[in-house]
Amino acid sequence: MSERGETSRFASASGFVRLAVEARVASVTLARGEKRNALVPAMLDDVASAVRVAIRGGDAADIGAIVLHGEGPMFCSGFDLDVCHADASNSRRLLAGLSALVQLLRDESDVPVVIAAHGGAIAGGCAMLAGADVVVTDRAAKFGYPVTMLGLSPAVSAPSLRRMIDSGPTRSRMLQPTLVDGVEATKIGIAHECVATPAEVLPRARSIVEMLAAKPAGAARVTKAWLRQVEHRAGLSAAVMIAAGLETSLGVVGTQEERSLLAAFVNRSRSKGSA
Amino acid sequence: MSSLASLEFATHRDTHVATLTLCREEARNAMSLDLLDALHAKVDEVAARADISVLVITGAGKAFCAGMDLKAVLEDNALALRLLMSLADLTVKIRTLPMVTVARVNGAAIGGGCGLTCVCDVAITHADAKLGFPEVDMGVCPAVVAPWLVRKVGAGRARRVLLMGGLMSGAEAHALGMVDHLAADLATLDATVDGVVKHLAAAGPHALKATKKLLNELDGSLDQSIVREGARLSAHVLSTPETQTALRAKMGK
Repeated sequence: MSERGETSRFASASGFVRLAVEARVASVTLARGEKRNALVPAMLDDVASAVRVAIRGGDAADIGAIVLHGEGPMFCSGFDLDVCHADASNSRRLLAGLSALVQLLRDESDVPVVIAAHGGAIAGGCAMLAGADVVVTDRAAKFGYPVTMLGLSPAVSAPSLRRMIDSGPTRSRMLQPTLVDGVEATKIGIAHECVATPAEVLPRARSIVEMLAAKPAGAARVTKAWLRQVEHRAGLSAAVMIAAGLETSLGVVGTQEERSLLAAFVNRSRSKGSA
Repeated sequence: MSSLASLEFATHRDTHVATLTLCREEARNAMSLDLLDALHAKVDEVAARADISVLVITGAGKAFCAGMDLKAVLEDNALALRLLMSLADLTVKIRTLPMVTVARVNGAAIGGGCGLTCVCDVAITHADAKLGFPEVDMGVCPAVVAPWLVRKVGAGRARRVLLMGGLMSGAEAHALGMVDHLAADLATLDATVDGVVKHLAAAGPHALKATKKLLNELDGSLDQSIVREGARLSAHVLSTPETQTALRAKMGK
């Protein structure tokens, strides 16, 4: 399915990501709704490429804001566990791609980013939210990092989550393999606006990016760059911590515990699917 | 000049409370160089009073503070830099005060005025007040106040507030954590302020001062260089053609 303003300057290697540019707004779409936008390695590379094309490419050089959203029932359910189970190297690529994407959105681009997180964002999907300047969600949406149940560590997300929210909620979300709803996610700062229903999320996110794109672009970009410096001076964005988070998550991939817990989960899911 | 800011003293139980008022009512207490000079002088005066445990900061008239008086400095970048640098230094000066500071946000607190509320240890307003940072709407960068908002509400929420611009109600500011106490309306604001001051007055003044000092060290509040750097950045953005055009249109110049 194509979108209005879809650009030919971006080609999705995975086939699951689209980029459309219209009226100084770039829309990046996760288009794997039938799998709740579960991430495969090439998909994260595609999102990063789409953002780079939007902010640096030719006629789109004056992009005023970016909106990232997903098709189907939710924004993103996290890593595709079938591909992680099939080959641990996919988990490693996903972790590295996730860390790089959040840094790209937050630290390499001065263009404001809005994520429409309808239905929720789990694990790697929740981690992506830390790249956004504004996150819109709905009351019943689900958020969290329940990956320790699979023998994985969400540490890759810890530095960016801590940058976004307070230390107490960061610990609570990282260490408890439970989910919170959209109201609680907004209360602790994972999201910033909570609308009543999933159907209202993307229209609200679009109205925000249109409003952002209508502002004087120079001031918004300088302000985003300055906030990055303020966060850095506050010790919230140390490169050494970002690297340590990724290393910690990579360190448990391929261990016996991770392989057996992940296999058990995938087999249970397949049994349910075939029942 | 001294009439632009007033300092009054009162006693609650055995606790001495000072009230600093911005008195530029005809300009909704917008911060001009003269007003900032007056505020510096009054804050220096209260800093020398070891007996004061609580300082309440408020605005005369309907507004708390409408922000920076940019109209007067729009065509003189050196003057603009002086204005922003004076605000930067004032924020650190207020934060460094040994006593607990309470912002009594009686009405509009906009831009630099909203920054002042974030600098105070406790901020109190009412549901109908208007607060916010509309700088980016006018092509201006709120660089001086950004570190204070980040310390007050966290980096994630600060991004949303500063990049989206606009204003919010007192109730929204309270939900966001930008103000700590919310009165239902202006008529009940003083009762809320009095309640907070009464609680502070009941606490040990030495314990309060020691705790505040530690908190300032923990969150980087004493880093004057970042707000001064912010003042230079804001002044630079103010001098760009994009911002000059946007501000002139806004001011009808």
